[in-house]
Amino acid sequence: MSSPLALLGRAGTYLLLSLAAFVSIFPFFWMVAGATNTSADIIRGKGTPGTALWDNIVKFINSFDMVRVLFNSFLLAGLGTVLTLIVASLAGYGFEMFRSRFREKIFGGLLLMLSIPFAALMIPLFVLMANFKIINTYQAVLLPTIASIFIIFYFRQATKAFPNELRDAARIDGLKEWQIFLYVYMPVMRSTYAAATIIVFMNNWNSYLWPLIVLQTNEMKTLTLVVATLTSGYTPDFGVIMVGAICATLPTLIIFFVLQRRFVEGMLGAVK
Amino acid sequence: MSSLKLKGVRKAYGSVEVIRGVDLEIKPKDFVVFVGPSGCGKSTLLRMIAGLEHITAGDLEIGGQRMNDVDPSKRGIAMVFQSYALYPHMTVRDNMGFALRFAGVAKDQIARQVNDAARILALEPLLDRYPKQLSGGQRQRVAIGRAIVRNPQVFLFDEPLSNLDAELRVHMRIEIARLHKELQTTMIYVTHDQVEAMTLADTIVVLRDGIIEQVGRPLDLYDDPANQFVAGFIGSPKMNFLEAEVVDSTPTGVTIELINHGRTRLVLPVSGGTMGEKVTLGVRAEHFGEPGAGNCDITLQVDVAEHLGSTSYVYANAGGEALVIEREESRHQNDLDRMVVSISADKAYLFDSQGHRIR
Amino acid sequence: MPALVLLGIFMVYPILWSLWMSFQVGRGMNFSFGGTANIVRLTQDPVFIRALTNTLLFLAVQVPIMLVLALFFANALNDSRLWGRGFFRTAIFLPCVTSLVAYSVIFKSIFALDGIANQTLMFINLIDNPINWLSDPFWARVVVITAITWRWTGYNMIFYLAAMQNIDRSIYEAARIDGVPGWARFWYLTVPLLKPVILFTSVISTIGTLQLFDEVNLLTQGGPSDSTLTLSLYIYNLSFRFMPSFGYAATVSYVIVILVGILSLIQFIVAKDRRA
Repeated sequence: MSSPLALLGRAGTYLLLSLAAFVSIFPFFWMVAGATNTSADIIRGKGTPGTALWDNIVKFINSFDMVRVLFNSFLLAGLGTVLTLIVASLAGYGFEMFRSRFREKIFGGLLLMLSIPFAALMIPLFVLMANFKIINTYQAVLLPTIASIFIIFYFRQATKAFPNELRDAARIDGLKEWQIFLYVYMPVMRSTYAAATIIVFMNNWNSYLWPLIVLQTNEMKTLTLVVATLTSGYTPDFGVIMVGAICATLPTLIIFFVLQRRFVEGMLGAVK
Repeated sequence: MSSLKLKGVRKAYGSVEVIRGVDLEIKPKDFVVFVGPSGCGKSTLLRMIAGLEHITAGDLEIGGQRMNDVDPSKRGIAMVFQSYALYPHMTVRDNMGFALRFAGVAKDQIARQVNDAARILALEPLLDRYPKQLSGGQRQRVAIGRAIVRNPQVFLFDEPLSNLDAELRVHMRIEIARLHKELQTTMIYVTHDQVEAMTLADTIVVLRDGIIEQVGRPLDLYDDPANQFVAGFIGSPKMNFLEAEVVDSTPTGVTIELINHGRTRLVLPVSGGTMGEKVTLGVRAEHFGEPGAGNCDITLQVDVAEHLGSTSYVYANAGGEALVIEREESRHQNDLDRMVVSISADKAYLFDSQGHRIR
Repeated sequence: MPALVLLGIFMVYPILWSLWMSFQVGRGMNFSFGGTANIVRLTQDPVFIRALTNTLLFLAVQVPIMLVLALFFANALNDSRLWGRGFFRTAIFLPCVTSLVAYSVIFKSIFALDGIANQTLMFINLIDNPINWLSDPFWARVVVITAITWRWTGYNMIFYLAAMQNIDRSIYEAARIDGVPGWARFWYLTVPLLKPVILFTSVISTIGTLQLFDEVNLLTQGGPSDSTLTLSLYIYNLSFRFMPSFGYAATVSYVIVILVGILSLIQFIVAKDRRA
């Protein structure tokens, strides 16, 4: 039934997809293999498992106060995610549910702000934090990221798919607005929350520039910053760094795999 | 079971008025159907009664109490939505008991009320399922069940059957009629389907462009429409409208000429109209008679005939004016390409150029 | 609306502040009003011109490559007859969930002078001598572009894939019955129907690339000899690395704002045109 040309096309598709998959996965393999090798081996391009794993782990753990670093990372990423989701979903819900003459104008303004590079805001924010005297604190890292315009935008798009009649039904059932949000909106939109969780957690966990600026002492540093510090020396120990890289990647990887099914669903809702 | 009263009710979005002064009284236990074409404001009016839309002007009373600014949940109403609006993350049981949970009703009381409502609607085997595991008809029943549980004084239905297929629609229509008999509650039902209106209503309210065109019992509206709009809207197939011109008008009768039918003359026992006025003659499909049986005969070109068994509908035209004629015993007429029918003056309606009835 | 309050404090205020800053000259915390002095300085600053051209180069090369790849993969993966869809989808999306530092380290080690990239290329006789990836201006840019593309293609692909799944299947069935070949189904049905999403991703990617900072800072720190210096990195250097020159840094950052504005506008206009 299929023509030879179509068959060729199919084979090509598979070939390209396989290549893409290989290119995508290879660095992960490289990372894991690297964690077991010495730095010299890695630079020489040794991609097979070595024996230096234990050494690397020990060196990595001893390079910084790892308990503290991990605590910082998880606290900032976790708390930041929860707060961002609350704020952004409230805002998205509000934007979609309440008609107001200014609604579209405010929203347009928000989208415009999305285009302003963080680099432009970095300095004023830094000075603002300095004025609040909260440099080198968790608040300083969290506050500017909580009201993420992108996530608000995402929630508003997704909320368009939230049936208005459901809200009407809840109102007739005697729910207050906050109860509708809590008992109807949030459970109905769980896929959206799941997708947003992945995105926000990933962003927070990987957040580099802003924490780099406001977190100044070693005991406040996050895993991302620590691994970055390890790489910036003149003779970076790649084996040790690979261990750090694995640590830095695992949490987002786990969250992704746990929420994967909902993630695609949630994305679907947002682009409708 | 409460009475309900609307006095000079208006709704405006900015400068656009969608409800332009509605006065209506609904008696307790009445089954009232709001019917009209899309955009006529029927759903808006219902949502205003429910409290989902603010009332711009006028008064709404339920059970003798002014309800304009009362919270939807405290108006003694329950509503069934077009899309059912079932909470997708809750089982049928939780859906039905949700309102009571927030009204602070005790758990065992909720369970009892839910079970009672489930029994009425034969929903018992479905109580632990989720909405997405139900068929359209089952979801509809759950939505009705959710309304019943609240034990409302007034039931509101917003086009509840329009998402169902034809067969289920008939089935649910009967179910709702039965429910009304059983519960003896005031019900207000919105639909664009005049068949639903005719079959369900004690009283039909015909709306157009935010005002009431006519209120009455179904057959009264059918037999005695107040204007051309109601005449055209109520009844299936639609009433036929024939262009005509007044050629003589006396207190006891109006003589008209049918423009598209060789200016055939017909005298109607009504008074009104002026010489030369363009008017419209309305004749229902089933009121065309055998040739010579009425007051005048017209000759038609047959386009197509539909035979439904007990009756047949003949689609015909004359001078570009399309008409539908209902015939019993006409199975063999499909090969005809011309037919002659008669019009009886006492079974025809006359409307002036504004669409008002000339009686 | 607590969100609006937060936004007000952490977005609007800094925006106004930086706008005001962009007209200030001076070093450290001493400012004086300089009018257009900063703008004049922009036009005469070779490093700025360098950063600007680099950023635009990254944009012009990287965004189209990435979006076309993403669209292609999404289309391939949207075929329900494709074997191993779940695996390919996850695999291609995987880079997106890697930690930023992790992947820059990985790329750094892969593209080291005697790293695996060179060894492989030499092994298959594509090159004779190892390429000095990160020290050569041209190859350093290639590495940066490769790295960003590697990381974000899957991300964009998911958007396309989600949008494709919203397209009514019967449209394709109708097209097949009408004898429309596969490439035409893709080009005349999928692409136009995905236009809103394509527009969205291209705006987001453009913004992302214009603000590019993390990757270059970690991979090359702008080198060698500023060949991978981006505007954001330059702003960072101006504010925190050298003697702080906040006012001038703010001026540079508004160059990005203006660029984003112009490019978004162009993208909207192009998207509108295609509808006509």
